[in-house]
Amino acid sequence: MLPDHLLSWMIFFPLLGAGLILFVPKRYPTVMKGIALAATIPPLWWAANLYVQFDRWGTGFQYVEKVPWIRAFNIHYYLGIDGISVPMVLLTALLSFICIIASWNINEHVRGYFALFLLLDTSMKGVFCALDFFMFYVFWELMLLPMYFLIGIWGGPRKEYAAIKFFLFTLVGSVLMLVVMLVFYFGSVEPATGLHSFDLTILADQSVHQAFLRSHTIRWLCYLGLFIGFAIKIPLVPFHTWLPDAHVEAPTAISVILAGILLKMGTYGILRISYPLLPDMAREFALFAATLGLISIIYGALCAMAQTDLKKLIAYSSISHMGFVMLGMSVFSNTTAINGAVLQMFNHGTVTAMLFLLVGVIYDRAHIRDIDSFGGLAKTMPVYAGYTGLAFFAALGLPGLSSFISEALVLVGSFQQYKIITITATTGIILTAAYFLWTMQRVFLGPQNKKWADLPEISLREAFTLTPLALIVVLLGFYPMPVLDLIGATLKHTVAMVVG
Amino acid sequence: MTDLIFNVFILLTIIPCFWVALSSNIVHAAFSLLITLFGIAGLYVLLGADFIGVIQVIVYIGGILVLIIFGVMMTQRGKLLPLSIQLPGKLFGAVLTGVILAALLLSATRTLWPVAAVLGEPQLTSAAIGDLLLGKYLIPFEIASVLLLAALIGAVLIARRSVRGE
Amino acid sequence: MIPENFIQSNLQGISFIGPELILTLAILLILLVGVLLPYWRHRILFTILAVAGLAGSVLPLWKLPQPAPDLTYLSNLFVWDWLTFLSKPFFAVVGVLTILLTQVTGEIDNSEYSECTILVLAVTMGMMLLVASTDLLMIYLAFETMGILSYLLVGIRARDERSGEAALKYVLYGAFTSGTMLFGFSLLFGLAGSTDLLAISQKVAFASQHPQDRLLLIVAILFFLAGLLFKTASFPFHFWCPDVYEGAPTPITAFLSVGPKAAGFVLFIRLFYPLFATGHDATIYEAVSGLDWPSILALVSAITMTLGNLAAIHQNNLKRLLAYSSIAHAGYLLMGIVSLSDLGLRSVVFYLVVYLFMNVGAFAVVAMVASAGGSEEIDSYRGLGARAPYVCVAMAIFLFSLIGLPPFAGFVGKVYLFAAVIYKKIYWLAVVAALNTVISLYYYLRIVKAMFLEKPTETIQIQVPLSSRVLLLALLVPTLGLGIYWQPLARVVSGMF
Repeated sequence: MLPDHLLSWMIFFPLLGAGLILFVPKRYPTVMKGIALAATIPPLWWAANLYVQFDRWGTGFQYVEKVPWIRAFNIHYYLGIDGISVPMVLLTALLSFICIIASWNINEHVRGYFALFLLLDTSMKGVFCALDFFMFYVFWELMLLPMYFLIGIWGGPRKEYAAIKFFLFTLVGSVLMLVVMLVFYFGSVEPATGLHSFDLTILADQSVHQAFLRSHTIRWLCYLGLFIGFAIKIPLVPFHTWLPDAHVEAPTAISVILAGILLKMGTYGILRISYPLLPDMAREFALFAATLGLISIIYGALCAMAQTDLKKLIAYSSISHMGFVMLGMSVFSNTTAINGAVLQMFNHGTVTAMLFLLVGVIYDRAHIRDIDSFGGLAKTMPVYAGYTGLAFFAALGLPGLSSFISEALVLVGSFQQYKIITITATTGIILTAAYFLWTMQRVFLGPQNKKWADLPEISLREAFTLTPLALIVVLLGFYPMPVLDLIGATLKHTVAMVVG
Repeated sequence: MTDLIFNVFILLTIIPCFWVALSSNIVHAAFSLLITLFGIAGLYVLLGADFIGVIQVIVYIGGILVLIIFGVMMTQRGKLLPLSIQLPGKLFGAVLTGVILAALLLSATRTLWPVAAVLGEPQLTSAAIGDLLLGKYLIPFEIASVLLLAALIGAVLIARRSVRGE
Repeated sequence: MIPENFIQSNLQGISFIGPELILTLAILLILLVGVLLPYWRHRILFTILAVAGLAGSVLPLWKLPQPAPDLTYLSNLFVWDWLTFLSKPFFAVVGVLTILLTQVTGEIDNSEYSECTILVLAVTMGMMLLVASTDLLMIYLAFETMGILSYLLVGIRARDERSGEAALKYVLYGAFTSGTMLFGFSLLFGLAGSTDLLAISQKVAFASQHPQDRLLLIVAILFFLAGLLFKTASFPFHFWCPDVYEGAPTPITAFLSVGPKAAGFVLFIRLFYPLFATGHDATIYEAVSGLDWPSILALVSAITMTLGNLAAIHQNNLKRLLAYSSIAHAGYLLMGIVSLSDLGLRSVVFYLVVYLFMNVGAFAVVAMVASAGGSEEIDSYRGLGARAPYVCVAMAIFLFSLIGLPPFAGFVGKVYLFAAVIYKKIYWLAVVAALNTVISLYYYLRIVKAMFLEKPTETIQIQVPLSSRVLLLALLVPTLGLGIYWQPLARVVSGMF
């Protein structure tokens, strides 16, 4: 049984939980955690239903809700999902649920943590469902506030630096987006009403663009503005420097959210906004974007190799993996690559989430994350080693696990368009394999470090957070169709639109 | 003849100004200001503004300036502290002043001012001003009185404070 | 012999200045109570009188005829348009908030309290008159009513050298700039032979066709700018702002940062739009030919915001920091003036309303923390979030709103201003303002960081009384509410121009 206005419920239900938490007396932290958990379960259930009921063959938006919000600016409360949003919404709902469980050991300022977390949850889902540019922007920015505090208050030793760096970098991108958004607003006239519009579905119609918005310079600058905004979020080299800091300092659950969902917003934004609004520029920028993707793949992998901090290593591996997404998205000669890219978004979300959760597990026990200080952990914590092995193999793209398929699709598809770039990108896979295996060896194999010989095995709660992700990784490794089915029709439409 | 008197008043107005600004003796500065204000009063009269001219003498010279001089003589006499303005600052000020002066002179001479010829004796203005103050400008006149009242209250407050402070 | 028609005109127009009359009445009442009932000199009594006077001052507004752009009264000295109509409640709210803030923080001594309320009411009256004036003489009188009395307000605190120094600085700068502006007025009077803005605007439109008159107009515009940029604390007349804001009692600082500043911007609209711009069509204006003042102002706007934001980064005193932030906001607001369109005018008014709540809110928190045992230095905010969560969350919301982040009202205000310049295709200014937003994030976040991210260095317990909390709530509601649903206010400002 599903409520009406399903998307609204899904977006704002966590916010209700956050409101409730504010009224729980301070001495009941467990009640707060319970409320937070309860606030993430219905959205997960609804997201699962959404997944089942979503019409895979439709190219339009489904579950649409549209009511006027601010008439003076013709802004609508406009929600809807298509094949690109559904996996993202599902991923968000799942990771939010898992992260609440993973945050169970937060004991400082419990109220603030969970209230902010739920606010973050709301804004993330909002970004993936908004179809009005203005609303998209509001949710996009709304995300920054809780993120800043979550990193800044509950983070590691250099949390203040990391938090403000994250905030500043992202804000640079978003203010540029704001300017572009307003240029589009004034550059478009809704044919039915004669008003300017923020409606993304209308703005995507090139015929509503006014004369000045047809000028090449304006379009080029607009695309650049949007691209920088999204590239900071993805993040593509050279806009990536906030990411390692933010990841390293953030608490475990927040790292999971950052890597699992926030990074996807960058690529999602390109698919949702840049491509439909400026398809001609998308073609023009494709080679540039693919090159940046390649640079990110190689640079991220090389940096990861040099790290001694496990979290930093995963952070750089994220940059590398997101480079594949960007590369796949820049291919318009076939739909294989872009399908692979969106699948990679989903897969990276699950795999990186596992990786950060696993680092969190070891950090909670040993309070260090230094790769070289461990050794032979496989003997001490065999189950943990098993999970980590799975996650590592998935991340390095072992056939049979989910990332293999998405990366293979990206490479196969992009080879048709960018031969040299693709061949170079393959070396990224080799590098990735190298650093993950090397890390594996240093942490789990070799002589047992006596200092960590009595670390307790992974707890039931921790295993509970990892298992669903592990199942997805294995399942999608054998049979990726559940996601590919979902996104295929929409992406075909997207590519057709860009190619024109 | 009028031109000569006009020029005399102009000189009376401008030359003491330099004294006011440049003199390091505050008493001298205050007395120079007196001459300047007198010169301005003369200009008013020459323009046919008899009422304003008289008011200028009574209020500014008779009232405000005497107060200033009293204030100066009763508090502190002697040399003022020299202002330490660096050369770049002086230069900047000089250039700015020069530009503004040039602009004003140019605009004053080039502009096509709407000039009406004055015929015969200038008329007395006090009656007309009185009419305006009680007619068209009655409300501004009253507002000015509210301003003065509030300013008076504020002045009393500050004066009271300094008395108490001693 | 007073001409009959002036008596008629004064009698008819008197109802239009009902708000000002009621304020004058309140001033006299407070004065009398203060003098005649010396044993009754309780703060609360004066507060009630003043607030009642301000609240009462907006009551006559609803009895008056519908505003119209050409409805003038009192012999064309004032105009009764929507800008006048809506400015009066705006300034009444400014006054009420200031009085309440002085009441709850106790920054002004009891012995000076009644005078303080009188001055606040009188300045409010001056601002109400200023926004309605369409005659150079009246404009200057109202401008000085507002100016002279605010100098006194700055210096009102006894036994405080900073307060006195700030007042003196304010007087010197103020006298210089308003004198310059007056000189500009006299030039235009000389050209037009009238002080009525309508008559002058016709003459200006005519004179701008003649190259030999153009220099005079340029000089006049520059001289006007001196007075206006001073009041709005914009470059290059912003130097007084940090010192005055720091030295003045905090509620007065809050008052100055929204009251006279807003009045300055309304005066901008009153002077520059009729005089130096022509209505191209109903929504767009063009600068009078040959006088490219919008370009000058665009440059001033960009410099003002950049300068304010860059200087704010290094401040450790919160009042100074907010002073520089207020300079930066003047720069943002100028964008609306620059855009020369109805949207630009709307954006200025919208932003002023929003700015009123968020900026008074930020200053209110500063005043409350200082009066509850903290100080105005950023150090005393370390770890305050844990000790005074309510106040700190409020502060964070005000600051985020000042940055311009959704879902707070400041964001919407910024969208309006950005929209205005983008509408006129002044893209470079929009990008400069956008990057300034990022700069401003850094220093606003320094405060947020101190409050929530850092550990306390001292353990003084901060107790904020209930009255302060209620006042903060009253400021929070519009700051949040207008960020989420601003259609009502959008409708109001759309109806104005």
